[in-house]
Amino acid sequence: MTNFEFSGRQRTLLLSGIALGVICMAYTWFMADDALHSRFWSNFLHNSVFFTGIALMAGFFLCASITAWAGWYVVFKRVWEAFGLFLILGLVLMLILALGNYFHLHHLYHWADESILVPGADGYDKILAGKKGFLNKNWYLGGTVIFVGIWYFIMTRVRALSIKEDEGKDEDFSSHRKMRVWAVAYLPIAGFTSAAMVWLWIMSVDSHWYSTLFAWYTGASWFVSMIALTILTIMYLKMRGYFASVSTEHIHDLGKLLFAFSIFWTYLWFSQYMLIWYANIGEETIYFRERLDNYKVLFYANLVINFALPFLILMRNDTKRKWGSLSFVAIIVFFGHWLDFFLMLKPGILHTAHEAMAHGGGDHGHGAAHNVGGFAAPGFLEIGTMIGFLCLFLLFAYTAMSRTRLEPTNDPYLEESLHHHV
Amino acid sequence: MANHKDIVYGLYNDEEELLKAVKVAGDKHIDIMDVYTPFPIHGLDPLLGLSESRLHIGGFVYGALGTLTAFLGMSWMLAKDWPVIFGGKPHWSVPAFIPITFELTVLFASIGMVVTFYIINGLGPGVVNPTIDLRITDDKFCIAFDTASTDKASAESFLRSTGAFEVNSKTI
Repeated sequence: MTNFEFSGRQRTLLLSGIALGVICMAYTWFMADDALHSRFWSNFLHNSVFFTGIALMAGFFLCASITAWAGWYVVFKRVWEAFGLFLILGLVLMLILALGNYFHLHHLYHWADESILVPGADGYDKILAGKKGFLNKNWYLGGTVIFVGIWYFIMTRVRALSIKEDEGKDEDFSSHRKMRVWAVAYLPIAGFTSAAMVWLWIMSVDSHWYSTLFAWYTGASWFVSMIALTILTIMYLKMRGYFASVSTEHIHDLGKLLFAFSIFWTYLWFSQYMLIWYANIGEETIYFRERLDNYKVLFYANLVINFALPFLILMRNDTKRKWGSLSFVAIIVFFGHWLDFFLMLKPGILHTAHEAMAHGGGDHGHGAAHNVGGFAAPGFLEIGTMIGFLCLFLLFAYTAMSRTRLEPTNDPYLEESLHHHV
Repeated sequence: MANHKDIVYGLYNDEEELLKAVKVAGDKHIDIMDVYTPFPIHGLDPLLGLSESRLHIGGFVYGALGTLTAFLGMSWMLAKDWPVIFGGKPHWSVPAFIPITFELTVLFASIGMVVTFYIINGLGPGVVNPTIDLRITDDKFCIAFDTASTDKASAESFLRSTGAFEVNSKTI
């Protein structure tokens, strides 16, 4: 089977998943939220950022492999191409958030409150006033549109050239040469701009706090989730009878990436933690103080799920080759990194919501309750919303895969990939 | 040396030929002593019936030993034997121990595996290892038979029939 047939049943299943997500989001908005709709908006941000990042990382690793003249991944490269194309929906989702920020429809970011930037005014915030050159609504909107737009544009070029290769008309590999130029361009562009977008989208919810390796840490989290989703997608397609040429050797190498980048994520997580712990400067430790005081269980569960389990389970050779153990780790690690983003975003957003309400005359502000629905831990509504976004991502990716041959034919590295052996 | 062996060996130009020959030998149940190649050949180990190396199990044990040595060692030294205050931190400061625990894990695992590998293979300083033919370190591929277990004439005819360009015998 050279083409992926998107059956009506699969489509219905994914569409009902999306419907579940929409229902959960509507329920959050109307029934289970505060006056500022912080729970709705934070869930929206959490999932949009998570899945946009997975698309970004799929494109990034595809381009890195093309640049490095790698060959092993070629038989299943359409999976990464399809994931990368999701960036257009990521652009739409992040644009909704950016417009919401522009017109003050949500209160996710403390720095977006312009009243605190006026010297001498009540609640004047000197630190945020000093950051307003970067932390402002124009950067947020412009950065989102321009940078994500560029990522998506390059992904469409790479994909179009990859499909053009299938026609087999370029004996001199001119398509592949052009593809390599786009891939090389994508690496520094996506590398630098994604760091800036991580600061704006994620790190600035704790708007006083900053960490120089936060973008790396977030990127590693996205990368592991992307590899986990790739493994599960390939296994599903193989179960359906596609991808006959994708062998245990390819799965084994993806398992190695899952193992290695789980450790890389831990390395970055710990580097950030230990330097802040050692220096013990109040304005830095506040990030971990908040999470250790109010999110103790999730804080340690994050390390167990994303480090201890993949490290111990995937250490052996054969657990990376067996579908049972590898898919088990891929599922828990995917959920684990979603949880990691929950921990990055929710405490800061809750704090900002308290501040905003106190500003409006209420009695919230410092010392307010942390046991708020959807903020203390993911509830059913958060999980339902995540399933909705996941189904949207998969619907888009499977549609993209069904548009062309599932396995490429004239890639110069195809033979190497077919005979891949570890 | 007490254990002299009379060896018959054939040289091949190409690893594909060698793989085919090893497959034929397996089908005919001809007992190959060893195969020598200038680089690792994918798929050769299962054809020769070699089981997976157990060296990595040793690696895990040495690594776990390194983890315990570092962590318990530092805990005893810095919290019990001679407690010192560093930067106002508690004596038993686990985050500060982690980098050294990691380093000793890697050090123990790597040194332990190298030493184990050398001992098991009888390697070490001053050990003489006879090379069957100098060209196997360059671009030729070799299958060798021990005449004690394989008939010399049948080994020679096997080597010639599977495409060896040169067949020699040697005592090592």
